Amino acid sequence: MLETVIFSIIGAVSLVSIVFVALAISTRDLLKAVIYSAVQSTLYAFLMYLLMAPDIVLVYVAVSVGLLPLITIALLKKVGRYE
Amino acid sequence: MDFETLLYIAAIFSIYVNIAIGMYGIVAKPNLIKKFIALTILQDSVNLFLIIAGYRRWYEGRYIQPPVITNPSVEALEKFVESSVDPLPQALVLTAIVIGLAVNVFLATIILHLYRHFNTVNVDEIGRLKREMIIEETS
Amino acid sequence: MSRVREAVFITLFLTVVSLIVLATITASQGEILPRTTRSLAKTFLNTTYNVIDRKFWTASPEAVAAIVWDYRGLDTFYETIVFYTAIISCLMLYRDILGKPDVTKGEGLSVVVKRANAIATVGIIAVGASTILHGMITPGGGFQGGAIAAVAPVVLLVVFSRNLIDRSRLTYRKSIVLRNLAILSIVLTALLPVLLSAGRGYVFQNQNKEFSVFSYPSLLIDVPMGGSIWFYNLFEGIAVFTAFYLAFRTILYSEAISLIVVEGEDRGF
Repeated sequence: MLETVIFSIIGAVSLVSIVFVALAISTRDLLKAVIYSAVQSTLYAFLMYLLMAPDIVLVYVAVSVGLLPLITIALLKKVGRYE
Repeated sequence: MDFETLLYIAAIFSIYVNIAIGMYGIVAKPNLIKKFIALTILQDSVNLFLIIAGYRRWYEGRYIQPPVITNPSVEALEKFVESSVDPLPQALVLTAIVIGLAVNVFLATIILHLYRHFNTVNVDEIGRLKREMIIEETS
Repeated sequence: MSRVREAVFITLFLTVVSLIVLATITASQGEILPRTTRSLAKTFLNTTYNVIDRKFWTASPEAVAAIVWDYRGLDTFYETIVFYTAIISCLMLYRDILGKPDVTKGEGLSVVVKRANAIATVGIIAVGASTILHGMITPGGGFQGGAIAAVAPVVLLVVFSRNLIDRSRLTYRKSIVLRNLAILSIVLTALLPVLLSAGRGYVFQNQNKEFSVFSYPSLLIDVPMGGSIWFYNLFEGIAVFTAFYLAFRTILYSEAISLIVVEGEDRGF
């Protein structure tokens, strides 16, 4: 019973992440693309927690929701926000 | 095949779709920062695919657990080996995430350097400017 | 016309992805979601903290840290060198301006943000240090703790403006020296068994094996220590933290001083 619930949550979360990836690639405002990519990384981190990989969750949250959006937004400010 | 295998196949299908959209974003968009964001999406999806390949069904009557030992006696060790997930893909993914991050930081520095030389981040514009420069220098 | 093209494109895309999923299902050897783990995983999980049969044990109850730093230690060492080389090549592009203080002085954000960040920085560094030092009994380790602790100086740079970085005592030269010392200590910890047992030990050896008596301690008063894994985690954490600090310091210079590097070249090279 509990196994079926956890598998359904895994299936639902990975299907929702397709929507955010498609939105991130197709938008023309680069700031919105960074925010959508960060939301997709949060969904991936939750998925990795359900798949019983606690070491990977620590690295992934620190890198992909903290350091990479920071460096991309710093780049955006210097280069130009719209495509 | 039962319901849980179907949900697992749905998760694998969504990871394939993410990899494909990431590859399309790298090839088809002319802005360098959009290519950079698509590259990070591609790297994350491939790492998740490796982790999901190490999962398994639950052992009858026991919970599944991450590969950390909490009770080092002999009987508990046997139960731990029967009910833990695979630790090898996680070690592989740890190495892959760190190397991907090093390459991404270097790419960001190169994008800044290109902007300071050419004053634009559009790949078509950079190609046109270089072509003009080469024609100027060889005439 | 472009609507028709979009629809055709999406249909073709979904067909190709479904064909690949079909190939995955029908060509797998055995069940697609197994009930038991692989035999190689069972071997690693059996021998990593086995107090009865100590032929291959690693004295660390965390299987992933044991695989990363003991069973496959050479792979992790070369990955550390790749990370080191990438950051060095980042710094080399801007070698004319590396240690200089910045010309435009800023003021930072408002008082509320500054005081809240001053409290949160202590918390971030404490969590990062705890993750580095406990990497052999709970999930954690060198990379994880280093990446967590590296968020703190970058956020401080954004909130307090460049004045704080230019006035602080963690200068550019000290960071480079600290990073080189950390990598050198990793190499020394790997070579110590060979040096101390006069040629009869193995490189990257953790506990004592059949033909060599040297062994790192396996208990830290009464907590399982993992032998050399604790030392590797500590040095790797310091190396990763200083690497991120250096890279972000160089990227976030202001435009007035960064254009010194490209002056004298007209367009491109």
